[in-house]
Amino acid sequence: MPHGSVIPAIILIFSLFILQLCIASVASAGGGGNGINVWPKPRIMSWTTQPRANLLSPSFAISSPKHFYLSSAANRYLKLIKTEHHQPLVTPSLINITTSSSSALHTLFITVESLLTPLQHGVNETYTLSIPADASIANLTAHTVWGAMRGLETFSQLVWGKPNLLVASGLYVWDSPLFAHRGLMVDTSRNYYGVDDILRTIKTMSFNKMNVFHWHITDSHSFPLVLPSEPDLAAKGSYGHDMQYSPDDVKKIVEFGLTHGVRVLPEIDSPGHTGSWAEAYPEIVTCANKFWWPAESNWTNRLASEPGTGHLNPLNPKTYKILKNVINDIVNLFPEAFYHAGADEIIPGCWKADSTIQSFLSNGGTLSQLLEKFVGSTLPYIVFFNRTVVYWEDVLLDDNVNVRPSFLPKEHTILQTWNNGPNNTKRIVDAGYRAIVSSSEFYYLDCGHGDFLGNDSQYDQLQPSSSANNGGSWCGPFKTWQTIYDYDITYGLSEEEAKMVIGGEVALWSEQADPKVLDVRLWPRTSAMAETLWSGNRDEETGIKRYAQATDRLNEWRYRMVSRGVGAEPIQPLWCLRNPGMCNTAH
Amino acid sequence: MVRSHTSISNVVALIFFLVLLIIPSVQSTTATTIDVWPKPRLLRWAPLHQLSLLSPSFTIASPYDHPHLSSAVSRYLTLIKTEHHLPSSVNNPLTATSSPPPPPSPPLQSLHIFIHRLHAPLHHGVNESYTLHVPNDRPTANLTAETPWGAMRGLETFSQLVWGRPSRVPVGVYVWDDPIFPHRGLLLDTSRNYYGVGDIMRTIYAMSANKMNVFHWHITDSPSFPLNLPSEPGLAAKGSYGDDMQYSPDDVKKIVEFGLDHGVRVIPEIDSPGHTGSWAEAYPEIVTCANMFWWPAESKWEDRLAAEPGTGQLNPLNPKTYQVFKNVISDVVKMFPEPFFHAGADEVTPGCWKTDPTIQSFLSNGGSLSQVLEKFVNETFPYIVSLHRTVIYWEDVLLDGVVKVDSSILDPKYTILQTWNNGPNNTKKIVDAGYRAIVSSADYYYLDCGHGGFLGNDSQYDQLVGSDTVSNGGSWCAPFKTWQTIYNYDITYGLSEEKATLVLGGEVALWSEQADPTVLDSRLWPRASAMAEALWSGNRDETGKKRYAEATDRLNEWRHRMVSRGIGAEPIQPLWCVRNPGMCNAVHASI
Repeated sequence: MPHGSVIPAIILIFSLFILQLCIASVASAGGGGNGINVWPKPRIMSWTTQPRANLLSPSFAISSPKHFYLSSAANRYLKLIKTEHHQPLVTPSLINITTSSSSALHTLFITVESLLTPLQHGVNETYTLSIPADASIANLTAHTVWGAMRGLETFSQLVWGKPNLLVASGLYVWDSPLFAHRGLMVDTSRNYYGVDDILRTIKTMSFNKMNVFHWHITDSHSFPLVLPSEPDLAAKGSYGHDMQYSPDDVKKIVEFGLTHGVRVLPEIDSPGHTGSWAEAYPEIVTCANKFWWPAESNWTNRLASEPGTGHLNPLNPKTYKILKNVINDIVNLFPEAFYHAGADEIIPGCWKADSTIQSFLSNGGTLSQLLEKFVGSTLPYIVFFNRTVVYWEDVLLDDNVNVRPSFLPKEHTILQTWNNGPNNTKRIVDAGYRAIVSSSEFYYLDCGHGDFLGNDSQYDQLQPSSSANNGGSWCGPFKTWQTIYDYDITYGLSEEEAKMVIGGEVALWSEQADPKVLDVRLWPRTSAMAETLWSGNRDEETGIKRYAQATDRLNEWRYRMVSRGVGAEPIQPLWCLRNPGMCNTAH
Repeated sequence: MVRSHTSISNVVALIFFLVLLIIPSVQSTTATTIDVWPKPRLLRWAPLHQLSLLSPSFTIASPYDHPHLSSAVSRYLTLIKTEHHLPSSVNNPLTATSSPPPPPSPPLQSLHIFIHRLHAPLHHGVNESYTLHVPNDRPTANLTAETPWGAMRGLETFSQLVWGRPSRVPVGVYVWDDPIFPHRGLLLDTSRNYYGVGDIMRTIYAMSANKMNVFHWHITDSPSFPLNLPSEPGLAAKGSYGDDMQYSPDDVKKIVEFGLDHGVRVIPEIDSPGHTGSWAEAYPEIVTCANMFWWPAESKWEDRLAAEPGTGQLNPLNPKTYQVFKNVISDVVKMFPEPFFHAGADEVTPGCWKTDPTIQSFLSNGGSLSQVLEKFVNETFPYIVSLHRTVIYWEDVLLDGVVKVDSSILDPKYTILQTWNNGPNNTKKIVDAGYRAIVSSADYYYLDCGHGGFLGNDSQYDQLVGSDTVSNGGSWCAPFKTWQTIYNYDITYGLSEEKATLVLGGEVALWSEQADPTVLDSRLWPRASAMAEALWSGNRDETGKKRYAEATDRLNEWRHRMVSRGIGAEPIQPLWCVRNPGMCNAVHASI
């Protein structure tokens, strides 16, 4: 690649100059008013001239430094840019269109400062994109290849038109995410998703500049992951041979993630949520294959939080033999430096069903000591592989079964919160841990579609009960895109505390989701979180929440995602897009 | 002679022995219940629970010259021979044993159809009863129905009995079936967002699989006018979302014929006088308040111009309104053979009419808005009736708090009212007034609810923790109506037996503010299936208790079968629950 080392510096200086110019004098672009939309909205996007568009040359090319993943991304975006021919539902207005083909844009020139920086938590994703008016070259500058991928996505969204491709020009973008961790969790245990469903999801995440695919691979219902050292876990614990992920499938998904700038973070939930392990190793799982809520018993004596029982037995040495084989295989399969070890919803009744645990307890031991034994035997082993361990908050905050902080070294542990909204986030950071926010009240995408339990007596009535009233599931109602967009994940925290919140994840648990509804459950609601965590949910000048103007932009973005092959659900009638402002509420 | 007699006895004995041997293993790998959705009124399977193979040369004998029945017969024959449904509960390759031993009965060779009244048209109240007998001692099954439409229901039932590879069918089965309610419908709004003809046909196909019989097509509304009418081509040319988002007369013909082939009536709705903003693109002079912001600045809710964005109401005081309107009606009547015509009349909003000067002077001369509506109804209702149509109106025309007509101008003989507000209360008001009712209670049957508001810059969202409105899912009719909510609704709740006979049935409704083809199947199914069963055979068991508990497993199975038939129905449980029957129940009584 003919890159002189001087050029980036010049571009950087020039960019900064332009940046100052813009901030001083030109209104920010991309507010939705002129139809030029980028989702998530960049931190700074300004016209250096009057808003205009330039032709994209038929021989348009992307000049990229040679890099295994970035080159792949550049090829992918070049193809998308040349074939997408997006037709905005609202024709961009207030735009001077330069029709002289002599000045058509023919190259996007990518400059990356540090080609070797790996894709890991906290990697610099900043980029600047400069598309000068009536010039044939545009520049994309980033610190890392991952930032360059974000810039390529932005560039792709600035191109539209048929038959001639147009690109917004006279435009300057400086962009950098507010939160380093912008994730999506999918549960592939309760229902199975094909490899293509996962790849399509990762692709769509990259459209939305998200960077963590949290793969909740295993749970009590099925164990779909084929592990070389423990092949029986999937052979006996999956839903079937056609509902497994082979090591090659995992490699494909991980590589696909890298070419899209998306980390693939595996979760092997334990010691709870392990009923499926009992198909291969009944001896290491307590209370497996039992009815989850024993007859005539109180809720406190349930065996699991939902149907599908089974906890690994911390007192059986064989448990660790199997688990260490599993961990070994996982770290070999997943290069990602975070390892999610689960540890949510330890249910006392399940462990109490085991006779060795019973005698441990009758000798004065506690359930929390059991969990400490489990964590003490597994966390150091995971850390030994240079992994940071992510646990669900329960491991520290559960009322009944929890461990002391001394078992969770702060430099190696991150806690993911899902209960009590902002309160638990605060408890986690106050305890000195980094937090990932997945509040079920805001970020759980499966909620509000009814309960999945059979013969549930709350439904036996004409008028809805209070439970049925909010959509009939424990975390109902449905989380609307507005609910998601408006959530402030550092609410109530000091500036110092807020730094401990590394980001958030929306979550799709699969009791009532499978490939049929995957896209409609995820999109565009996940896009709402993606923007909030990338550039915020407030207007940069007034500090007021910007969901109002976000509606039109999200609607447009939804249609663009649909045309890119993502089955996102509609948020408004087409009429609203065709009649901007007419579907507003404010009178 | 003696020898051969002996050998026959040996064969008989051997078969008997095989039967004894086989039955337990067959039962261990197959469901011992038969799942037909909606559950038939009466289904008996002789205690041995025998299965037969379906002969590779299986045929359906239907000696009738009836285009729609013939179409259904050949469709079902193909489905039956190619579906090879594997019940999810036995579809586990990890536990399934090698293919079950050959069933004891001879392969089923044919299904014979007998119809008493071949020429009964597909109209409201047509007899849909059928009996189906699949004997265990002969290779021939019989389907007897009063009408071709009943035979189609029976064919659907038969198709659901067949499963496996090679195909098997339970024998020793007797079914008698007949719907409780004659009107089992689904409303689709194709104005707020457009759906392709393929989407509509797939929906009708799925309805027939659920024995539903009315596709209520809410064709036009304020956002768009997608129907291309020969006498008024300007309405769609100017009022649709675009040339690629229209229904041509040929499209309509295709949909109507497809409906007949599937035993599904297609009822057109041309909503008026409200919900007509899209008419103003072609005829601005007949529409009041068109293209205005729906809720004027600084004004109260009572002074809004429309119930939601998209303003416009036909002007009853302009003679031209009736000229255009009658052209529309006369076209629609020609395109749709269905004897019911839905004329809308919901949500007439005072503020919209009040913007018009002629209506203003009518009002200042002592006239009322209700008189304006009465004028409209008096000009249009008799015209529709004169074209041999029964008119369906939304309940508002009679029950609205502000703008409504006197019941004397709506002859109950030609009028049916469709309720959507106040649950059982309005149903009761309608039948108490002597009208037939169709139930589409928004509290139970609106499928679009609970996915958030669609309005822009809505201030209720500007807060961290949800308000009451947001906390139930953020749309006016939230929360989301779960399949259980739909299944358990008793549409004649609180009515005497006599009054209950005026309730013709119900319709689930998909309004399209937040629906379009990408979510169509998952919004409709399997929740519309829940209503389909409740209206076909009820939501209670023989003891009178609601049967949603056992319905869960059956609906789950049916959902998987619909998915394999190409309908993108949403899942209601993890696969694990189907594989572990009973384990996902909530009730923890002694087992």
